[in-house]
Amino acid sequence: MKGIHKNKLGAVLEMKGRALFSKNFIIMPLFSIGITLLLKFLYQSMGGNGSEALSNTLLATALGMGAVMNITMTGILCTGMALAEEKEKHTLRALMTSSVNGLEFFLGSILPVVAMMLAVNAMIMVVAGVSLSLTGWALWLGMSLLCATVSGVLGMILGICAKDQVTASTVSTVPMLILVLVPSFRGLNATLNRIGGLLFTGVLQNMIQDLVEGKASVDVAGLGVILGEIVLAVGVFLYVYRKNGYDAG
Amino acid sequence: MINEYIRLEHISKSFGETEVLKDLNASLHKGEILGFLGPSGAGKTTTIRILTGQLKATQGDAYVLDTHVKNIDESIYEQIGIVTDQSGVYERLSVYDNLRYFARIHGVELKHVEELLTRVGLLEHKKKPAGKLSKGQAQRLVLARAVLHKPKVLFLDEPTSGLDPSTAQDIHELLLELKEEGMAVFLTTHNMEEATKLCDHVALLNKGEIVEYGSPEELCLRYNRDKQYRVLLTDGSRLVLRQSPEDVEQLSRLLQEDRVNSLHSCEPTLESVFLTVTGRTLQ
Repeated sequence: MKGIHKNKLGAVLEMKGRALFSKNFIIMPLFSIGITLLLKFLYQSMGGNGSEALSNTLLATALGMGAVMNITMTGILCTGMALAEEKEKHTLRALMTSSVNGLEFFLGSILPVVAMMLAVNAMIMVVAGVSLSLTGWALWLGMSLLCATVSGVLGMILGICAKDQVTASTVSTVPMLILVLVPSFRGLNATLNRIGGLLFTGVLQNMIQDLVEGKASVDVAGLGVILGEIVLAVGVFLYVYRKNGYDAG
Repeated sequence: MINEYIRLEHISKSFGETEVLKDLNASLHKGEILGFLGPSGAGKTTTIRILTGQLKATQGDAYVLDTHVKNIDESIYEQIGIVTDQSGVYERLSVYDNLRYFARIHGVELKHVEELLTRVGLLEHKKKPAGKLSKGQAQRLVLARAVLHKPKVLFLDEPTSGLDPSTAQDIHELLLELKEEGMAVFLTTHNMEEATKLCDHVALLNKGEIVEYGSPEELCLRYNRDKQYRVLLTDGSRLVLRQSPEDVEQLSRLLQEDRVNSLHSCEPTLESVFLTVTGRTLQ
């Protein structure tokens, strides 16, 4: 991978940013906001005709479901399927033989998706009606950024391994289910709880619980887990990329 | 060598035990069109992929714009354009936006996009999504994208395959214009008429090997071993005369008596040369 040319990175960013708002992809962030709203209203009605305040646990559950869905679905599917689409429609080779280098394509692909995930996670917090301090917001957006990075790189890995959009969707299903369901059901089983703590989505849910309870502090162990997963994801990405570029699938 | 844009020296390529290219030698200069002519599976696309840095040769050396292909990186693509059957377009984007995207990548001024759209006859379709273009229109868009940055070398892999004659004609005219402007074109085709019309030199490729090399005219004359002349007489009858003393005398007499309506030499076509050399057809 070589240096970055501003015009080339800018072109890829614009292109990928526009693609993110196409109906194939925009459905995922919208769904995440929708599920948060739906669960909030559902839990409000469970809490007594919406008149009583939501319990912190229920609010954290609604918020966690939306945020984790956003981070996993938008991050993995939008990056993975966009890369697979480039291969399926034979535009990837056209792009890579027009002097765009691997790093420019990587950043151009991942940055709009990460920005979308951050924006949606901020919206989810607002939609859920959680009031955060400035520190709370900084922690929330910072942790969301790190999780979005892991998820985006994971999406690129799966996109490299998939030859078309259908394959990308299929191979993404298992990791997405693990990343969404394990943290969601971690309270039911000690093993799930331990595994959940080792997933970036699990760390994110822990943070949501703390933020809802008004605690705005850094979970050092959780941060270590996410940073480790970023290093691991980037390592795996570089390994598969070096084998055959973006066209391995 | 001055103005030598491509040089192949003893290039061979094997996939496992199968040797798909054998000891290829060729060169392409500024303002020339070099055709690699051969049937499917002859190794034409493999040659392009080696020359554009997408595949490594097993043996030999190849240079593109004085850069050895093993040292090629993405910067070479600022000076070359590529059209293959794997050159897709962004279907959701308009024709104009497809070119605008690549203009931005190459740092080309946007006014050139409109000029190029006019030149390839797509200006009236500029707002149409590229996915709604006909095959011929899409191919013209791909070609426009490949020459947008005015590359020194253009690689074309079967550029008119499957297109209607009118679109193929338009593409031929554009290629001849680009050649006049000094662009070097590396063309692969199995269409012998296209090769005869466009190419300064052709390499006949059979099972990965160049079996003949030269200008189309040279090759046709080289294999014109049984010279024949097709004659249409004024009374409507047709004759085929050979290069024998009797037939030459007869032809001379017919010309003197003004009984000849038309006279054609019957040298072989590139297709028949290919058949003679390899025993195979080009299709």
